[in-house]
Amino acid sequence: MQKISFVLLLVFLASCGLSKKEKKPDSADLRIVSVSKHLTEILFALGKGHNIVACDLTSSYPDSAKMLPKVGYHRALNAEGIISMNPDIVIHSNDIGPLTVLPQLEKLGLKTMAFKGANTLDSAKMLISALGAYFGVPQNAVTINNKIDADMLTVAKERALHSDTPSVMIIHYGQANNVFFVMSGRKGAGDQMIESAGAKVAKYDAKGARQISAEAVALANPDIIIATDFGFDKMGSAENFKSIPGVALTNAAKNNRIYRFEEHDLVYFGPRSGENILKLMQLIHPKK
Amino acid sequence: MNNKELILFYCFIAILISTAFIAIAVGAVPISFMDMIHSIKHWMNGEESGSIYEGVFIQLRLPRVLLCGMSGAILAVSGVLMQGLFRNPIVEPGLTGTSAGAAFGASIVFVISTGLPIALQNITGIFILPLFAFIGGLIATYMVYSLSQNSKQSSVTALLLTGIAVNAVALSGIGFMSYIARDPQARSITFWNLGTFSGASWLQVFIVGIIGIVSLLFSFRFAKDLNILQLGDEEAGYLGLNAQQLKKRVLLLNTIAVSVVTAFTGVIGFVGLIVPHIMRMIIGSNHKKLLPFSMITGSIFLLLADIMARTIAAPAELPIGIITSVIGAPIFIILLKKIGLLNQTGVKND
Repeated sequence: MQKISFVLLLVFLASCGLSKKEKKPDSADLRIVSVSKHLTEILFALGKGHNIVACDLTSSYPDSAKMLPKVGYHRALNAEGIISMNPDIVIHSNDIGPLTVLPQLEKLGLKTMAFKGANTLDSAKMLISALGAYFGVPQNAVTINNKIDADMLTVAKERALHSDTPSVMIIHYGQANNVFFVMSGRKGAGDQMIESAGAKVAKYDAKGARQISAEAVALANPDIIIATDFGFDKMGSAENFKSIPGVALTNAAKNNRIYRFEEHDLVYFGPRSGENILKLMQLIHPKK
Repeated sequence: MNNKELILFYCFIAILISTAFIAIAVGAVPISFMDMIHSIKHWMNGEESGSIYEGVFIQLRLPRVLLCGMSGAILAVSGVLMQGLFRNPIVEPGLTGTSAGAAFGASIVFVISTGLPIALQNITGIFILPLFAFIGGLIATYMVYSLSQNSKQSSVTALLLTGIAVNAVALSGIGFMSYIARDPQARSITFWNLGTFSGASWLQVFIVGIIGIVSLLFSFRFAKDLNILQLGDEEAGYLGLNAQQLKKRVLLLNTIAVSVVTAFTGVIGFVGLIVPHIMRMIIGSNHKKLLPFSMITGSIFLLLADIMARTIAAPAELPIGIITSVIGAPIFIILLKKIGLLNQTGVKND
């Protein structure tokens, strides 16, 4: 009797083991669900894009990420949708919601990993290294980080040729009707990119609010305005963008210094931040 | 109930049971019938789930379907109570400020939760959101009620108008919170205002279940009084009904039930409006019948809406409030136009 029950126990244990084999993070058929836009971008850059089986709605870079199944907005996820993609691991940056989702996933034995960072260039490089190491492609991470360093070196070299530090304002215009959504001046990624590109952030007084009035834009009087793709394309051209109340009164409008930039390249640091800062610097300090 | 109505009632119960089974079976993760049986076996024996499918069934799907069904019943019944109490067919639970107040409470958590005392965050954990929503709903409804009392007599009109004013205050509060919010927080507020059952857990099922059963039982006791009240406050008084007391009790019951549901699921509109109307059309406005019928059909309606919410955009899911409005509103308009629902409601205005 004891023998039989021992055998049964063994069978039971074996079947438990069969139900979900844990795969190594570097295995070729690993299934990843990424619910964070910059983690998605970094994984694609690391050459692990083919392992991502689904991502969140905000993962919009690279274009291949747009083709993947979406498990919803990262603040309004549902556990079942994620599980239906049969992932081996769910990666996030500790900002997902609702709060019930993570405990639900963990209770069901799903592996979840938080990768934080990417609010400074250095932390983004560390994040790239961490993801590279975890998913078994550390060499790719080194290559990406070397490229960032090389780009930043070029930035420094070209910057040395110019002595001026113009003031810059990033405007995400028109998301709601005629609303200025200023992305600079809040110590975020945008500010750091402006400073790295050899400029200073145009100061304005808005007491913590993100939507500021046309008057505050005019008063801040930036020398250069970086318009995000959304607002720029909505207006159609730099010439039209100049006609927006507030913008019209700035030095940027008077000197024709309004440039278009992709919004998602300004909100977090990632594998392309080096080249983006270089691009930004070349807009701010054009070659004479 | 006569025989015909009794048969109809059993039919609705049968539909409810089959809808619940479909709701359990359908979803982003395919779950076989055997998985369900195994899962229940394991659960009864207190063992761990054998596979992830069993886990999904017992941890996610089952509590979700139960919570959804109960919420539908509670929202529909509170719709009946409010419409009966105010003798007004356009009243729904949201009108006394409960949902807007709850939404304001929730928006505070979304925007400044990190600024709240750590001790409070530790104690409440993932329940901080429902807690604030519940408190917000209670405060708003209490304000509506106490402010409308200040006029010499507590009239339905005063209550409704105060309700509109307090709703406006709560909405501007939500607006301000969205204004100072970062982008993801603002979107969280929007999503919460459209409701979802994706966070359902057994604990929520138990809490809503207990509140739900108590409030449903009580509401049936009010059926007779509500029937009398349809004659008007004064006439009801001649028949020995204490209208003021009835109002207080029904409002209290309603507020607690709706606040609890809203706290866990977010704002789900339209159920409390459309279900009682359709039922009134089918079986008349006797509250003794209207209450049980609305309870069952409210459940069915919300379960169907949740099935759609889960499957249309799978593996993502739509907020259920979008479904209830998009399906509910056209049905409602068709009924109004075709059958002349407004002339048949049998509900008198003030």
